[in-house]
This record gives sequence, C-alpha cells and structure tokens, in this order.
Amino acid sequence: MNASGIKLGLGLYTMLFIVFLYGPLAVLAILSFQTGPEGGPQFPIIEWSTYWYKHLFGLTPPSRIAPLPIEQALIRSLTLAVMTMIVSTVLGVTAAQAFRKKFRGSGVVFYLIVLGMMVPGVLVGLGMALVANTLGVDRHWWGTAFVLHVVYTFPFAFLVMLAIFNRFDPSVEEAAWSLGVTPTRTFRKITFPLIFPGVLSAMLFAFTLSYDEFSRTLFASGRDLTLPLAIYGTFSVEVHPNVFAFGVLTTLFSFALLGTYAVLMGLSVRRARRMAIQEDT
Amino acid sequence: MRDKSWPELVGIQVKSVLQLKNVHKAFSGVPALAGVDAALPENSYISLLGPSGSGKTTLLRVIAGFEQPDGGEILFAGQRIDGVPPHERGIGFVFQNFALFPHLSVAENIAFGLENRAVDPVTDTRVVAAKVRDIIGLVGLSGLEGRAVTQISGGQKQRVALARTLVTEPSMVLLDEPLGALDANLRTRMRGELRTIRERCGVTFLHVTGSETEALAMGDTVLVLDRGRIAQSADAGTLYGRPASADVARFLNCYNIFSGAISDDAFESPVGRLALGGAQQKSGEPAYAIRYDRVAIRPLHASAAGDEVRIEASFVASEYSGAAINSFFTLDDGRVFEVETHLSHAAPETFEEKARYALVWKREDALVFV
Repeated sequence: MNASGIKLGLGLYTMLFIVFLYGPLAVLAILSFQTGPEGGPQFPIIEWSTYWYKHLFGLTPPSRIAPLPIEQALIRSLTLAVMTMIVSTVLGVTAAQAFRKKFRGSGVVFYLIVLGMMVPGVLVGLGMALVANTLGVDRHWWGTAFVLHVVYTFPFAFLVMLAIFNRFDPSVEEAAWSLGVTPTRTFRKITFPLIFPGVLSAMLFAFTLSYDEFSRTLFASGRDLTLPLAIYGTFSVEVHPNVFAFGVLTTLFSFALLGTYAVLMGLSVRRARRMAIQEDT
Repeated sequence: MRDKSWPELVGIQVKSVLQLKNVHKAFSGVPALAGVDAALPENSYISLLGPSGSGKTTLLRVIAGFEQPDGGEILFAGQRIDGVPPHERGIGFVFQNFALFPHLSVAENIAFGLENRAVDPVTDTRVVAAKVRDIIGLVGLSGLEGRAVTQISGGQKQRVALARTLVTEPSMVLLDEPLGALDANLRTRMRGELRTIRERCGVTFLHVTGSETEALAMGDTVLVLDRGRIAQSADAGTLYGRPASADVARFLNCYNIFSGAISDDAFESPVGRLALGGAQQKSGEPAYAIRYDRVAIRPLHASAAGDEVRIEASFVASEYSGAAINSFFTLDDGRVFEVETHLSHAAPETFEEKARYALVWKREDALVFV
C-alpha cells in the first residue's frame, strides 16, 4: 500500500470518528426543531419550527405537555458548579504548592488525593448517603453532594497545578525573597500571576465536571435535584423535543465558556509570542 | 596586575562583613560542604573559584538562606543568620539564569524589591521612580525602562538582575556564575562593568565562577573551594604564583603537575629525578609543579645549564591563541605536558610531530609541595 493510500485511509477513519463523535449531537440539534406540540422526538421532521425553544421559556399557549421542571435545577447546578470550582481550585493550588517540596508521607497523600477521581461514583454516592443517614445528617445538594463534588474535582485541579508547578522556575521566588519580600507577598505578586493560566484550566475542569456530575449526586443530593438529575427524571415519563432544545442551549453555553477560556489563554500566549518575535528582530 | 594594597598587608583592621565557621551541608548523606571557614572583608570583590561539584553553588545558597546548613555558624554584619529566612537576611542574590520576573517590565522588575520588601518598603512612587532612574543610569539601561524583560538581550537581562538587587542597597551581593549565560565578548565587557559598579556602590560582591581566568580577573580576593572546603584564600597574584596545594594548582589550569616524593635533594617523579631548588609549600600531598609559561623547548641535543631541570618528551600538537602558542608533549609515562610560549618573546617555532625535544626550566621556577 502506498503513502497516499494510507493518507486516504486515515482521513476516512478520522471522518468516521468525527461523525460518530458528533452524530448524536447533530441528531439532537435537528430534532429540537421539530414542530410542536404534536411532533415527537423522532424522524421525519414534520415541519421545521422553534416551537420547543419557545416552550422552554413558557412562550407557547398551554398544552398537554408540561414545561420542563428544570428552572430551579439549573440554578442549583450552576451554584453548585461555581462553589465546587472555587473550593477545588483553591485546594488544588495549595495542595500542589505543598507538593513542591518532598515531605514525609507525600507519596501516600498523593494517592489518597488522586483516589477521589478513581473510585466509582455510584459507590461513593451510596457510601455518602449511608454515612449521612448513620450520622443523622440531612442530604442536600449544597451539603453532602457538594462535598462529593469537591472530592471528585479536587484531584483534577491538583494534577493540573502539579504539572504547572513542575515547569515553574523556583529561582524567581528565591529572587523575590532575597530582595526582602516575604514568602506570602512573593506568592501573591510573583508566583500567582505566573501560574494563572494553569489556575484557569483547573477552574474550567472543576466547573464542567461538577456541572454535569450524575452518579455521585444521584444518591447524595437528597430531595432537591440538580440539572442532570432533573433531566433524567423527565425521561421516565415521556420524551419530548423540549429536552433536545434544552440540550442544544446548554451545549452552546459550554461552548461560550470554552470560548472565554480560549480567549483568556490566547491573550497570555499572544503576549508571550509578541515579545518573542520582537526579541528576534 | 591587581592593586597590591591588600589591607591586611599594610596592617589595617578589616571589618569582615561575612564570616563562615565550620559550615557543613550534606545532601542525602553526600557532603557538599565539609567545614567551610572564611571571612569576607567589607567593600571588596571576592571571587569564589571551584570546579563543578565543589559545592560552590551550595555555599552561595546556604549564605542566601535558600538552603539550611547542617552545622556551623554564619555571621553577617556580626549577627548570626543561620536559621533566619532569606527575606530577613538583607543579602542580594544574582542568579545565573537571571530569574527576572517575566510578567513585569524592566522598571517594574527593578522597583519590585523597594515596593514590596517587608522592612521599610518605599510607598512614595516618586521616590521609587527616582531610585529606579538612578540605578538604571548606573547599570546603563537608560531607554529600556518600559520594555518587557522577555524583550531584551542577555547582557541587558544581566544588568536588570543586578540593578534589581543593588537598588535595595544590600551590604552584600552573591553572584552565582553571573556571566555564564553570556557570550564571550559580552562576558569580557561585563567583567569590567561589574567591578566598576561594585566600586561605586561600595558593597561586597561574592562572585562564584568555575573559570579560573574570571576568578583571577575579578577578585580582590580569590577563594578556592575544593571538595566542600576552602583550599586557599589569597589575592589573585599570590594565588597564581603560589597555589597552596597541587589541587589548587590544577584548578588554575596553568601548571604541569607531577606526583611523587622528595628524597634528599631531588623530587622522585614518574619521569625521573627532578632537582630541587625552588619554593617549597606545605600541603600534605607531595607534588612538583611547573608553570606552562616557565618551560623552554630545546632541541634534544641541547644540554641543561647547572641551575636547570631537563626532561625529554615527544611533540604532539600545538594550539595557537594569538598572543601565545600552547604546545603539547607526551612524556615517557604517557602523560601530557603543556608548554606556553608567549609570541612577544619569540616567533613561533615549528616542531616535528612525534619527534623528541628537551623541555627545560629553571629549578627555582618550580613549586614543590611537601
């Protein structure tokens, strides 16, 4: 087989892979434009319309299909994701900072932290529910579920920061100390600005992982549902294309989040590159 | 030649700014510093010469407080500072890789210490600006204040690193191979500039280097560090002319050294008996050293005068370096012997490869370690 044949084969394979990856999303997006309220979540498209998007925001005349019970769940999930993001990132940065120096038992502590993202979510969720029951603690999305979200996302933030600190030149900190600047102030004025791109990545990780976390939340969140649980709940009755419309909107939201991240990262990278170019000339 | 008014010689009591007493440091059982004793005089340029692995960077980091010594005392301006965190020591540090703050401009880098130090920070921006302007003028960076530090050349980075430290007015600055990252031309120019800048500021510089020429050129005093100990502390002229031991002579890279033993009136070396007559130096390890530039190359039939030592060797190759030519010979035991001939004295001779020549020097020029 010649080189161009291999190229063609690989190209075809890649295309199939991408179709496989985005096919479900495309089907979902297409079906969300089904006419309503009589159209169902299947092909063919009877008539193109934005009925289900309007339905989502309560802009359609009342019909037999109840609006999605997700408004509260969305607010809960966003709040939970932001709380998790802040706590996990702070923990991740400080833990990675601690790991810059070898300390006694650092190996064990490392594996204990990383275990949080390894253990099966259903088991941890169930375990948390049992512990909460035994201790007589009420289960809430902002309590027991929040703790599990932190346990789950903290290792990701920690690993990201560990990689960042690995490439960090500690002599800039020593330089600041030797100028008479305290370690605390050095961290704030020198270390933190330099590791900020990494902190941004850690935040993104923690936010997205928490936002669509399902298995841990299932057992630990108690009565009030988070968004993934609420959406799953609607499936048990009858599936209408309004779920698809919502799916498209959340995907767009995720893209917006990624876009913001890309712009922020791009700015710092571009700044570095501009300087490098000017140095060459 | 360096100014010889080395204060101790003329009897002036020199205040030492830094004293090291029996400083020890080991890394996982391997000793890096094995009892360093030294006293560094105020307002002087001190170079610390050591081969790689001699512990010179460790010593500097211990003085700066980045590493804690396992034992011994460090006194700075009369106060014990071992155990004091680096930011409370008041000792400046210039890194080999400069370690500038990459997210700050040249002026911001220099102002950083003034504005952020724990003791006596300068909050008045006009005072900061004035001090930064002065120091930028001193180190020759005018016009680059607003540049990002990633936008300037190696030599300019070096100046920023120096200015950033000097502006905080430390009484001592440690420089860790500060010229190592610069190209050869710039290195020679910065040597002179470092000395001038130091003289104007009146601080003590402790300059670590692995290059013997740099150490000799820069230091009012040269400390030689060998296997975690100070092997010699002397001015450049003394060090070059009278190294304290065969090891020190080896670092200077200008001596042919023979090991052996003294018997009666000669030194028994692997290449034969070498007549004594020159200076003898107590060092514990017997050795015979003759400087590259003290040796004359003569035809094999030429005999030696009464006050001369003569050995035979075969010519290998020579290396032309402009002002001098270095010729390499193999001795009968396979060892390489180097001769440096200054071309201001004689036109370069051509020697025949593998042919044998007589190498001759005056007895009194040799240095014998007993």
